[in-house]
Amino acid sequence: MNKGLISFLVFVVGLAVFHNAIFPIFTPSEPGWILNRYVYFLVFVAYLIITNLILRLKPPVAMTALFVWSLGFYFYKSILFPPIPWTLFITYMVMWSIGVFLYVSQDPETFREFRKPIVKTIVGEYKFAQIIVMIAMPILVGFATYNSIYPAYQEPVELRTVHPAPPATTKVHGKTYPLESTDNPFRIDEQDNYKDSFPFLDADKHEYMKYVTEGGTIFFQNCHYCHGDQLNGLGMFSHVFNPTPANFIDPGTIAMLQEAFLFWRVAKGGPGLPNESTPWSSAMPPWEEHLKTEEIWKVILFEYWYTGWHPRTFGTEGAEGE
Amino acid sequence: MTKNNNYIKRLIFSFLAVALIAIPTTVFSAAPDAVKTDQLEKGKKVYFKRCVWCHGIEGGGDGPAADRLFTRPRNFIQGTFKIRTTDSGELPMEADLIKTVKNGLQGSAMPAWGEFLAEDEIIAVVNFVKTLAQDRDFNDAEDEEVFVQDFGTNPWGTTGPYHLGIPQADIDAGKEIFIKNKCFECHGGEGRGDGNPTMKDDWGFPIVAADWQQCWNFRGARRDYFNPFNVVRTIATGLNGTPMPNFKDQIKGEDRWKVAAFVNSLCPRKKMDKLTAKPIPDFLIQSVYTEGPVSPKIDDPSWQSPDTDDRIVPVSEEIAANPKRHYIAMAGQITRGKRNFDPKTDNLWITSRWSAEENAVYYLVEYHLRFMSDDPEYPDAVAIQWPAKLQDLFGAEKPYFIMGDSKKPVDIWKANFMPKDYSATNAPKDGGYQLDVSVEEMTGHGFDALSAKESEAKVEVVDSIFKQGRVKVLFKRSLVTEGEFDVQIPTETFIPVAFLQWAGRDKEKDEHMAISTWYYTILKPALPQSLYYMPPIIAAIFVCFQGWLVWMTKRTRKMYDEGKMRRDELPK
Repeated sequence: MNKGLISFLVFVVGLAVFHNAIFPIFTPSEPGWILNRYVYFLVFVAYLIITNLILRLKPPVAMTALFVWSLGFYFYKSILFPPIPWTLFITYMVMWSIGVFLYVSQDPETFREFRKPIVKTIVGEYKFAQIIVMIAMPILVGFATYNSIYPAYQEPVELRTVHPAPPATTKVHGKTYPLESTDNPFRIDEQDNYKDSFPFLDADKHEYMKYVTEGGTIFFQNCHYCHGDQLNGLGMFSHVFNPTPANFIDPGTIAMLQEAFLFWRVAKGGPGLPNESTPWSSAMPPWEEHLKTEEIWKVILFEYWYTGWHPRTFGTEGAEGE
Repeated sequence: MTKNNNYIKRLIFSFLAVALIAIPTTVFSAAPDAVKTDQLEKGKKVYFKRCVWCHGIEGGGDGPAADRLFTRPRNFIQGTFKIRTTDSGELPMEADLIKTVKNGLQGSAMPAWGEFLAEDEIIAVVNFVKTLAQDRDFNDAEDEEVFVQDFGTNPWGTTGPYHLGIPQADIDAGKEIFIKNKCFECHGGEGRGDGNPTMKDDWGFPIVAADWQQCWNFRGARRDYFNPFNVVRTIATGLNGTPMPNFKDQIKGEDRWKVAAFVNSLCPRKKMDKLTAKPIPDFLIQSVYTEGPVSPKIDDPSWQSPDTDDRIVPVSEEIAANPKRHYIAMAGQITRGKRNFDPKTDNLWITSRWSAEENAVYYLVEYHLRFMSDDPEYPDAVAIQWPAKLQDLFGAEKPYFIMGDSKKPVDIWKANFMPKDYSATNAPKDGGYQLDVSVEEMTGHGFDALSAKESEAKVEVVDSIFKQGRVKVLFKRSLVTEGEFDVQIPTETFIPVAFLQWAGRDKEKDEHMAISTWYYTILKPALPQSLYYMPPIIAAIFVCFQGWLVWMTKRTRKMYDEGKMRRDELPK
């Protein structure tokens, strides 16, 4: 059998086997030092080199170039993680292609050998290949033209700032609160003392749990529609709105914010946002229209109790969660 | 681990039982799963942190959230559970309750807890909930004997998520059974749940029949929305506490699967959002360019297109060029003024065409509405909302989505309508009801700053109908008008658009309504002519280039051979 063909099969069959059977082994949910995708890639490359050396296949330069180029393609497309955007992918592949070309044109001998099959295809010494290439290429070009002319409309992408810079003060129900020095008046004790307490049942025993119960009651009468029964932003109306409601379980929301920031956000709602946060489509009500000041503070107290996060303070320690 | 083994053993035994007694409906009797008392302390902890807010301190379904929810949270005290594998009126198996907690109850406020709570927490809370049933006793093996129903297996072997490929003959047979058993009396002629407006649940709260065309809202969907099994289970077991009886004696064996296939065939296949268990909205409404005038009749073939996503089921050839039906998610307006916590509509479908010849755009708005209003003071209504001053908006800027704001007004096209000769208790009427429509054009500077336009009417409703629980309203307006606060509609531009809807029967009015967020619409131009001639031209040019390449290469070769030119020399 033709050695070039064997080499080609070694590559194609090897890739199929490696990608479908061995790749999953090397990509467990928690990658380790050995079992990770880059080691897998090195193993695959080693397999190619060793197989070709042992069998003394010596594939022609054009084919070697094709292998090397494909390896790059495979690496950037499937191995590199997280996946890269297509613009970056094209940039990388252009550089990779140049590299491959430098490799084949390093001296006249290899370059001539590289050109040989291409020239033979063009002049018709490889008759079959010539027919296929000469027919397929114009058809592909025609399709590409059709696709590029066909009008396609994708909805515009809109960016927004999730946590805008807060103002220095906020005025709620006629009283002005400086955001930096305002604390939750109902945070009368250390939250962690009440981890295992029951709302309602313990409301009479501990004042703290009374506030949590009252806050929870307000939450489940008003807020759960969007922020969800689980406070994860997946309430029954959440799919309707864009931006989607905040997920309080996420470490990037209330866990990294001051309570006064929340107070401002809750009191002023969507309409109180600056322009970079798209106030026009936020469904967050300005709760000062519906709730009393103390009710807002109690809801905030409840949100921290339920999620186990601690509000950020400008004191000595940062946020710590469950 | 032993628990698991027991479960598997039971499963194997039940399979064996089914295999041995090879008759179509095998039912096996069992005792309800007794309360696991060692779980109660842990269960109580979970219950009082997660569940109490809706289900209440004693499990009476009267937590603080309850009064603002429709459907109300379950009252556990009577031991009445809807989604079971046991016979009507019986207690559920523990596995049924665990599935309910894990998957939630779609279309209600009950979320899926499967990804949120650990397995042992779910088992614990389910056992705690069992102790809240005061009127029934899960430990009473004698009086509470349950009969676990046999549902057979899917005769077509269809698979999720969409369960396509059931033969039409079986679906038609299912429809026959549907008619024979008078399911339409509650579920309506086309299954939109528009049969009976007077139903009450066991506690006297109003209740409506399921809308089969929105199977993602089936309580028992188990996040496997299109699986006919969900319907088979409901046919065989009924829904305790509701007017839905079981049909296990009327509809047997494979017939249940055929009815289920029919019910499921009504539900449009949409891509589903895994997190919220709702279809993914179509955020870009594409208005299709129409040669000549657009048909002003909703029945016209040019307005026909399926609800189903064309990426899941290909559209038939003759309507392939028709505009797509876009799915718009709706919620109650719970932000400003008088809030609406229980909207009666949770989605709209929008189809649009425009015509350069007429210089006009058409928007067909459709939505499911079980029952219409018969009170002229509270007519049903639907509206399209636009930025009134599109030209003044910069970038992504828009007016406030709830009827605009002081700086950026909105243009609202509102159609108010009342059906003619209609009574909610009428039997399904094949031809549907004509609507008395009046169009209001309004300028909104905020939900509390709406004003009717004084200029002459420019928005028309050219056709409308209420049929089998579905409203269809076809809006028309010129692209360009004269009014100061009229939106001027450019082509090939992304235009923000939002939708508002009022259910008259629910006494919705003004800002007490259902609302969508801002979507985009675009008037797509005609396909360019170049689409037809450019590809062959470019391909032909490429062929010439190939020919030139061949000629050049051959000539170079010839020159080498004739010695006119020297090959590059290899280093020695």
